[in-house]
Amino acid sequence: MTTSSLRSSLSVAVALGATALAASAAPLAFDFKDPKGVNNVQFSLDAPLESITGTGTGISGTVTFDPAAPAKTSGKIVLEAATLTVGNPMMTDHLRGNNWLDVAQHPAITFEAVSLANVRNQGPQILADVKGKLTVKGVTKDVTVPVSFTHLPDKLGARVGDPKVKGDLLVMRASFAINRSDYGIQPGKNTDKVAETIQLTLSIAGAAKKG
Amino acid sequence: MSTTSKLPRLLRGAALVVGLAASGGWLATGAHLGWTQTSVVQLQRDEITGIDFPVRRAAFVAGVEVLAAGLLLAGGLGATALFLDRRRPAGA
Repeated sequence: MTTSSLRSSLSVAVALGATALAASAAPLAFDFKDPKGVNNVQFSLDAPLESITGTGTGISGTVTFDPAAPAKTSGKIVLEAATLTVGNPMMTDHLRGNNWLDVAQHPAITFEAVSLANVRNQGPQILADVKGKLTVKGVTKDVTVPVSFTHLPDKLGARVGDPKVKGDLLVMRASFAINRSDYGIQPGKNTDKVAETIQLTLSIAGAAKKG
Repeated sequence: MSTTSKLPRLLRGAALVVGLAASGGWLATGAHLGWTQTSVVQLQRDEITGIDFPVRRAAFVAGVEVLAAGLLLAGGLGATALFLDRRRPAGA
């Protein structure tokens, strides 16, 4: 092997190595459309006369996450408002109706991440305060939500029950509260039965396929 | 024994049954302080992600309106029995 061909082979090897390194460190786009129906938001309102708890499962969206640089995380999560359900069918109809969430006019509740602050590790989790824009019933407000991220490399195959499927999972959890009057949801009305503060707990997993 | 003398007793019995059924049913389904629920949520855990997710299943949980309606009906039946008792001529 001549010196020039050796030099050329080395160049190719270095280039390939750099490409592989860049690929492994590249941000991953996680799709939160969950065919298993596991992704969910739980909400609760604790008023003096009545406590209301419910769930929502129609979650989708995309989050770009780089395990090597979690502070650069961005993305948008969408909740289909018509999937919000409580145990009483009439109350569910009221909740979705035009007096309350008006899901016919405002079918999506969205959260769009703008920036992350206070990013830190806690065991396998990455914790951060995610600043973003929350839109409910057509009203958008700036909110800061404490979120935990858990990156599960190469777990997609196990989750879908097919080891041939390669990819990572990203689990996000968040608990926070909003005031319904901030979003024009019957402000100041029925506060004895429908609490002003809505506690929200989000537990979602997204998948990023590889190859 | 005449029909008029049987009726108050029947109404008292019905009031007792209705009152006990409403109270017992409400207590047996969890003494729920809100409105009646026709489904309940059970949390299950996804093994891979560790996410607890709600699974909704049909179930009847009596609310306070069921208790109130039952007790109101029992009270009405009892009051009617009392009214009929008082209208009954002495010695009838």
